[in-house]
Order: sequence, then structure tokens, then C-alpha cells
Amino acid sequence: MTMNFAYYTGCAAQQTQKEADWAAEAVCDELGIKLHRMNKASCCGAVSLRETKPAFALAVAARIFSQAEEMGMDIATICNTCLQTLSQANNRLKNDDDLLDDVNEVLKKSGVAPYKGTIKVKHLAWVMVDEVETDLLKSKITKPLNGLRVAPFYGCHTLRPEEIFEADAGEKAKHLDTLIELMGGNPVSYDGHDKCCGFHVMLSDAQEMRQMVVKNTGSAKDAGADVMITPCTLCDMAMGSYQGIAEKSTGKKVGLPEMNFAQLLGCAMGIDEKKLGINRLHISPRPQLTARGVL
Amino acid sequence: MSDQVYTLRIQRNTRRDDGTMDTKWDEFQVKATPLTPVLNLLEDVKGNQDGSLTFRQSCRSAICGSCAMRIGGKTRLACKTQIGEVVDENNTVQITAQQNSPVIKDLAVDITKFFSKVHQIKPFLQEGSESAEEVDDTAFDQVNHVTQCIMCACCYSDCTMAEVSDEFVGPAALAKAFRFISDPREGKKSDRLKVLSNDHGIWSCARCTMCVAVCPKDVKPMEAIVKLRTRAMDAGNMDNYGAKHAQAFHGDITSSGSLNEALILNRTLGVVGALGEMGAALHLAKKGKIPSPFPHKIENLDEVQAIYNELEKNPLDVETKAENAVPE
Repeated sequence: MTMNFAYYTGCAAQQTQKEADWAAEAVCDELGIKLHRMNKASCCGAVSLRETKPAFALAVAARIFSQAEEMGMDIATICNTCLQTLSQANNRLKNDDDLLDDVNEVLKKSGVAPYKGTIKVKHLAWVMVDEVETDLLKSKITKPLNGLRVAPFYGCHTLRPEEIFEADAGEKAKHLDTLIELMGGNPVSYDGHDKCCGFHVMLSDAQEMRQMVVKNTGSAKDAGADVMITPCTLCDMAMGSYQGIAEKSTGKKVGLPEMNFAQLLGCAMGIDEKKLGINRLHISPRPQLTARGVL
Repeated sequence: MSDQVYTLRIQRNTRRDDGTMDTKWDEFQVKATPLTPVLNLLEDVKGNQDGSLTFRQSCRSAICGSCAMRIGGKTRLACKTQIGEVVDENNTVQITAQQNSPVIKDLAVDITKFFSKVHQIKPFLQEGSESAEEVDDTAFDQVNHVTQCIMCACCYSDCTMAEVSDEFVGPAALAKAFRFISDPREGKKSDRLKVLSNDHGIWSCARCTMCVAVCPKDVKPMEAIVKLRTRAMDAGNMDNYGAKHAQAFHGDITSSGSLNEALILNRTLGVVGALGEMGAALHLAKKGKIPSPFPHKIENLDEVQAIYNELEKNPLDVETKAENAVPE
């Protein structure tokens, strides 16, 4: 049966982190999942909009949910911060009728259909583990990882606060570990797996952010990781694209290849690496993947 | 519930004469039910197996905050944590001292640094021109959000920013600051917001939400920090990277619907600061990661603009409030 999702890529996947979007599309194509782009959806505003314009932030989220209701589909995203922002808003709107009424009044006045409160916000990585049939997923793994040691970096905004999410979160989250095992890899257990990538303080606390990147990737490398995966375009940017910059300013060498979960899944499915944007990664995982016969 | 054998893998720390730390691991087997508090087991070890084991404890009721330590990878109160919740598949749990505070011995840390952060935000009501003359029954619905804090430092111990920054004020102190800023009797709210907007204050929180997850009293420090940021900006404290960055969002969302990643650097850091980040930009550009300065316009953008204008005209208060702030 075809699964359909209202696909909310997030801003980063439309601009600097396009490869995460390409890989998500390619992987879903293999699995018969249809991702329907939400052309009317705006930026979620991240926590920033909640800080500057709290009511506008809720109404912007409600408008996105209203479009998903129009499409008749739950939302799937590939950005943790979008996931947390939308889940937080959805959790409030679904559990506070007065608030939902107030926000819907604003939507109606603005020509938007009111939100009925029926939408679930999901991460695409959850969909792979919780909704795709395990046998189907396994049958698509034509290039198993052959014991590749993969460090799962979950990213804060898919974990906390636990109660707003539609999947196991917090200390119970294990979807990335499960996915790594399904691909034939060995999940690496390490201290930084649930810590902060530093993306949101990249500009205000640049040095601290770079230390976070080096600490997290360093602890994964010390625990024996060959590569790191994240489910988030912003974590990708911090732990991958910024790793070299962080190494320079902290004087600590790490050199751990980092990629989006969908990119590694795509490799394990034997999808052409061009379609997955592997060449856009700052620290290429090619040597590690070639050594295991994945590429 | 029947007794089981659990293994406590405890980090033993002893300071050498030269100030460095001698660290080793000891394992102790204890019998308990899954519901037994970890604190009882530590007392069992100290009383029956190794009297030199050092940890802090007092009230046994999650009120004094003394027994905060890292149990199974997170900082928790030993008195409130049941052994069955935290052991791995081998019925073993690892116990270490809190992070981000210097260890004195074994599981006991020097709490001076943590409390100096709390003192830094002046944890008392100050006289001044902004004190309310009258206080109504809804006046404490924000204050009551954070008064449950018992200063156990669980949040500070697991704070991902405190881990890399000695200067960061930290979640507990900021939650305490919010408690005073939201108190109608406080006389110097504006002064406080100005100071908190400086470096290593409210804008240095990385929003990892770890403090919300580990707080044993459900204080939600990060939610208090988010509210402080809103209040600080509303009070006109815009001259810092954090506020400038946050302010970029509603402009971008109402003008195109998407975030303009190409311009956000410039608006947050200014031209000189953005030039300083040129090295980073060139590094990203090497892999074709150059955001377009002309982001795609979303369909039906007029709806978003109408929502914005409507809320500017008729503001809606959506701030979360403490339930039962004042008993009926």
C-alpha cells in the first residue's frame, strides 16, 4: 500500500542541505512512499519566532497543519528543529480547545481553513522504522553495511521534550540505532549521541558551538565510529560542514565523516551516489563505505 | 516485588596532593526491588560494604536537592530515582558525580560555582520604580512556573552549553531570574533584562532542552529562558546577536514565507561580523552550499501576511501559565 505524506522539508533542505532532500526522495521512491510537497507551507519559524512573535508562531504552524488537512495526510519532515517546533505547536493546539479556537479565528479572518486538530507530525526517520514494513525495508538493502560502525547522532529537537512527540523520544529513542541495524551496520554507543550540535548558537557563541562539534564527533570517533549519521539538516551542517572549521579553531583533529541518515540508507539500497549528493559532504565517507563494499 | 541483585558501578574520585584527580571504578552488588531508591542502595554500600564511599544526601524526599548525581548517563536525584528505571539489560547502572562542577571526593562536588551563577542574577526582590502597586490573583501564574526549583543543579550538570562554557549563567539561574522578572513586586525588571541580554546570558542557551528533560521538579528552565528572551526584546534589548537573529524570522516569513539564509548572517552579525565569517562561508561554498539570496516565494503568501497583520492589530496572549496558580 502506498504511503502518502505531506512533506515538510524545512528551509535548510531547500538551500544549503539539498542533499538531504534528494536522498529522502530517492529512498522513499524505492519504498513506494509518496512525498507530497507543501507548496503553501511557510518556514516554521524555529524557536526564534516563538520568542519574537509567540502568537504568530502558533498561527503559522496551524496554517501549515490546515494545509496538511486539506491534503488529507500527516506531515513528515527531515529537519529536527521543524519537527520540534511543529510538534510543540500541535501539542498545544490539540490539548487546549480555547487556544485552538482563538488561533482558528485568526486563520478564518485571513482566508485560511481552520485547523481541526487531526494532523500528526512525524520525522521521516521514524516512518522508516515504525511504519515501513521491516521485511520490505530489508528487501531493499542490496548493499548492506557489513558491520560498518555508525554513530547515531539523534539531535536534541527529535528527543526533547519527550511528551510532545508522536514516537519514542528522550532516553527511550532508538530509531536511528534500529535503522543502522536494519542496514547491516553496528550502532556505536557514545557519550554525545543525545547532545547539542550547537547549530542554534553558531552565530552568538561561535567558539562554544565549535567545541560542541569537536566534543560530539570526537567522542563518537573515540568509541570506534567509522561514520556518523544525523536525522537533521541543521545537525548535518554543524557536525559535517562545520567540523573542519571547528577543528581549526579548537586545534583538535577529528575527521569523522558525517552524513544524513537518508544518504546512508540510500547507499545501503544501492542508489546511485549522485542522486544522494554524497559529493556535497565535506568529509567524504567514501573510503569507509568502499572498504565495506557499500559503494 | 521480589529482590534482585543489582550492580552499582561507581566512579571513585580522590584528589591527589598536587590537585589532580585519581579516578577509578568500583562495582558493588546489592539486593533490592526495582522500586528501591538509588539513595538507599548507596547507603547500603556505605554501611555494609565500603564506609569510605562519599556522597551528599539529606532530606530523602526530593526537596533539598543534595543527592543530585549522574545515574545511568543523566543527572538525577538519587532519592527520587528507582533502581529499576535506570539499570541496563545486565541489571547494572553507572553512577558518577555531577558534571560542570569540580569533584571533591567520589560523588560529592563543590557547589560554589553553581551557586555563584545563581547569586549573579540577584536572587531577591529589588526595590525600584517598576514595582506594581496592586497584585491581582493572576499575577503569580508565571512566578509559580519556576518556584518549584530546589537548586539541585541537575540542569546545570547536564547543560550542553555549560559543558563548553564556564561563563554561561546556566538554566537554573536563568529560571530564577525569570521568577523575579515575572514577579509584579519586582522594581527593576528592565535593568535585569538588560543585564541578562549580555554575553553568556539568555542568548547563549543552545535550546537543546536537556534541562527540561532532567529537571526532577518539572521547572522547565528552557521555557523560562524563551519567555525571558521575549520579554527582553519587548523591552527593547535588541543590540545583541541573539535578538538580531531572532528578529530576522518574522520579516522573512512575511516577505517570502521562507528563511533567507544568505542574508541572515549579515543581519545577525552586521557587515564586519559577516566578513569575519567569510572563511566559514568559503568553506561551505567549496561544496556548493551557497544559499540563494532570492528564496522561493511560497504559494498564498498573502494568507501569512494577513495572519501577521491581524495579530499585530489584535494581539493574542498565548503564553503558557502555571495551572492553579492561586487555589480557588
